[in-house]
Amino acid sequence: MKVSQNWLKQFVDFDFTPDQLNEQLTMLGLEVESYEDLAKKYEHFLVGEVVERVKHPKADRLSVCKVNIGDAIQEVVCGAPNVAAGQKVVVALVGAVIPHNQHDPEGKPFRIERAKIRGVESNGMICSELELGLGKDASGILVLDEQATAGTPVAEYFHQTDVIYEIGITPNRADCLSHIGVAREIGSLVNRKLKMPETVLKESGEPASNVAKIEILDADKCPRYSARIIRNITIGPSPKWLQDILTGVGIRPINNVVDVTNYVLMETGHPLHAFDFETLASRRIIVKTAAQGEKFVTLDGKERTLTSETLMICDAEKPVAIAGVMGGANTEITGTTATVLLESAFFNPQSIRRTSKYLGLSTEASYRFERGTDIELTVAAVNRAAAMIQELAGGELLKGVLDVYPKKREPVMIKARVSRINSIIGLSLQKEQIVSLLQQIELPAGSSSQDEILVTVPSFRNDILEEIDIIEEVARMYGYNNIETKTRAAIDFSSHVRTDLLQDQIRNFLIGAGFNEVLAIGLQDEATMALAGKPLVKAVNPVSAEMAAMRTSLVPSALRIVQHNRNHGVKDLRLFEIGSIYELYTDKSPNTLDAYHEEERLLLLLSGQNVPVSFGSASREVDILDLKGEVSAFLSKFCLDNYRFIYYDNQESLCEPCMGITINGVNAGFAGRVRQQIAQSLDIDEPVFVCELKMRSIYDGWGRDRKFSPLPKYPGVLRDLAFTIEAALPQKTVEDVIRKAGQPLCANVVLFDMYSGQQTGSGKKSLAYALEFQSPDRTLTEKEIDDTLKKIIEAVQRQCNGVLRS
Amino acid sequence: MPVWGYRNEATSARSLVAFHQIEGLYVDRGVTFSELKGTLVAFAKQFYGSSIKYRFRPSFFPFTEPSAEMDITCFICGGKGCRICKHSGWLEVLGSGMVHPHVFKAVGYDPEIYSGYAFGMGIERTALLRYNIDDIRILYENDVRFLKQF
Repeated sequence: MKVSQNWLKQFVDFDFTPDQLNEQLTMLGLEVESYEDLAKKYEHFLVGEVVERVKHPKADRLSVCKVNIGDAIQEVVCGAPNVAAGQKVVVALVGAVIPHNQHDPEGKPFRIERAKIRGVESNGMICSELELGLGKDASGILVLDEQATAGTPVAEYFHQTDVIYEIGITPNRADCLSHIGVAREIGSLVNRKLKMPETVLKESGEPASNVAKIEILDADKCPRYSARIIRNITIGPSPKWLQDILTGVGIRPINNVVDVTNYVLMETGHPLHAFDFETLASRRIIVKTAAQGEKFVTLDGKERTLTSETLMICDAEKPVAIAGVMGGANTEITGTTATVLLESAFFNPQSIRRTSKYLGLSTEASYRFERGTDIELTVAAVNRAAAMIQELAGGELLKGVLDVYPKKREPVMIKARVSRINSIIGLSLQKEQIVSLLQQIELPAGSSSQDEILVTVPSFRNDILEEIDIIEEVARMYGYNNIETKTRAAIDFSSHVRTDLLQDQIRNFLIGAGFNEVLAIGLQDEATMALAGKPLVKAVNPVSAEMAAMRTSLVPSALRIVQHNRNHGVKDLRLFEIGSIYELYTDKSPNTLDAYHEEERLLLLLSGQNVPVSFGSASREVDILDLKGEVSAFLSKFCLDNYRFIYYDNQESLCEPCMGITINGVNAGFAGRVRQQIAQSLDIDEPVFVCELKMRSIYDGWGRDRKFSPLPKYPGVLRDLAFTIEAALPQKTVEDVIRKAGQPLCANVVLFDMYSGQQTGSGKKSLAYALEFQSPDRTLTEKEIDDTLKKIIEAVQRQCNGVLRS
Repeated sequence: MPVWGYRNEATSARSLVAFHQIEGLYVDRGVTFSELKGTLVAFAKQFYGSSIKYRFRPSFFPFTEPSAEMDITCFICGGKGCRICKHSGWLEVLGSGMVHPHVFKAVGYDPEIYSGYAFGMGIERTALLRYNIDDIRILYENDVRFLKQF
């Protein structure tokens, strides 16, 4: 629902800024979804006086105007045919945002910049009505009346000082579907009572009951029907203030009578309907249900089919309105209407909801009736509207309200226990505090016994039916965010990794990737463990020589497994193991616990053919790139892109060649080919590739804090480059140089070919890279890409001694 | 086990018609709104980081009273206001409240003896906040460039 700040201020004084009111209402449960500050909308728009207008030297249709904006004279180029010296106009200065671009099919707003128009400097723009969003006229500039003062802010000139809030009202708060309802909530914040609108009625001598009669035949569906009659009115457009205020809250002005009913609707929340009294047969209103299948044409010109459940407002002969939903075309207010009957009724919410749903027709009226209106407000609302109509459309207001009220509202009194309130919310409020909190929101409460208060629920709060509803109001008034935040359970705040669950994921992943899980015993013979090249961790009292040393690496025992399998004819192996290793720090005494370190490791092992022998595909021996691929796939899954391979020479006594692996910049293990002499010592004469990783590093690097990087909107451009470099230089070095030199446009670098042979010359190799260039905010030009390529080629030449191959 | 849920809602950068929902319900003697807050705050701090800012707003659900929605500071704009948070600086992450006495009565529990709280949240919205995704619709576009990031 749209709510006007100026309108709210008629009922309650407050001086919150729009941001503060937004926050405060939201925290009361009236969620402000957005707001529009009209004064801000017209920032940098001033009233200007055209003091001189000359034809643009280079354009026939343009004028160059000198415009007095109060404290300065600005030169502005204007294309409107009607601009002339002496006019008071609206000037949008540099920085202003034009609400409606009349040269754009969608009318998208745009910002005024200082500009040269055909060689003449323009410091702003003189605006049309359409451009200002104040009307539809786009034929020329808007000329203001002569009294306007140059330099006046336009927001002030047009009285555009309002702030319009869009508030999402929850279904239980029908009472807040009006300015008075929202003002009441604000009243609870500033602890002020509402100033209700004063209604002064000038009634004539003739009683309304002389000219019309009202009958309710279905009191369940219509417990109350109130009406007034005004004669000899003049239908016409509403005054500007009324049109503006309705437009501001999203209601289209129609004529003075209909506008008043809408005004009272938005003010009080009570829907009204105006009938052309002369069209009511026998001057009677009969409220009854329709005949099954009856047809009726509503105000919008559509024919509706009714059911025997649909409540209708009828005259002596025919239906004239679908009660609480929409009036009929047959009795609508027209330009010639002289007498109106103003309806102000209360309809059963369920009945209206069913009708509205059945017809697929929701209106401002049905929306409020189905949520529940204030049955005690019908007379006040109709009086308010009658007084306004008299003021705006003249006429004679007949004496008295026609008020049929067969089902009187029973007073609602609710008992609420102080102890219960405190035990549900988790507070320890005193009875007096609770009473005062409830009074803030106009819920009068008195003490009824030691632990009990008695709340008299006003007729506008039909959502309050029992104790729990009172408890909610107490919590709301106390402030949800003032209620202590506590738990009775102990909750673990640490970001502990469930390593057992993660291990299961790792196992499942590797099994899915075709690995077999192996488990070797933590104790091996000393000769095997010696292969690891680390200080032996010996059992003090071994059960046998085969189980004399603890594992310092998972690799030696895995090689034993390879040996065993090869002896049984199985040579193609993809194995993994999760197990503990134990290290001895030689700088500490081996008799102290400090000297030993235990940690979990993951081992991957590849040997034999890369794919099983099968029809239609060739197989080959696994190589180090297969290993690198498997490790990359694994780490990409568990550690995202937080891992790196580092080439280093021979630091691992088990492998040659060997790569180091880091996760989040910390050493996490190695991958490489098991040294030939080690393998051969176990009679393994085919290459074996292994990778050993610290499980702790995987846990730490586990990509939980991954963040999404937006997908590129603009297409990438591909280019290939090939260089000849020293064979000993790792490709990674070249790749890094390319990436760095290619910043910021080079988004991706992929090595797609590596060759060494006759064409490269001895001691050289050729590396070919596919480069992708991309920008997050534009499509790249050929020149931008060429410039970046040039930088890359120069960098590779300089830093890697690389020669570009053409 | 979260499963697909469906609702009548306009699809936007932060709302989907089809989504996955997690629900929580806690019933005991003497459960308070204060504890509901405590539990949800503990969750939010653990899940989104201990430095997040949050607030509880009164709201309405037919099966809880008092009802509350929990907002946390918008991750995209850091609270300054943007498209995702509809320029409010806050993002709603869950709905919650004290179990309505009518619900207890309907299942044969005496609301004078038992009280409890309930909450529900859409996993997709949760994922947005956790992974800094600025448009919820991308979750079901199944763009492989997106899928590869996770």
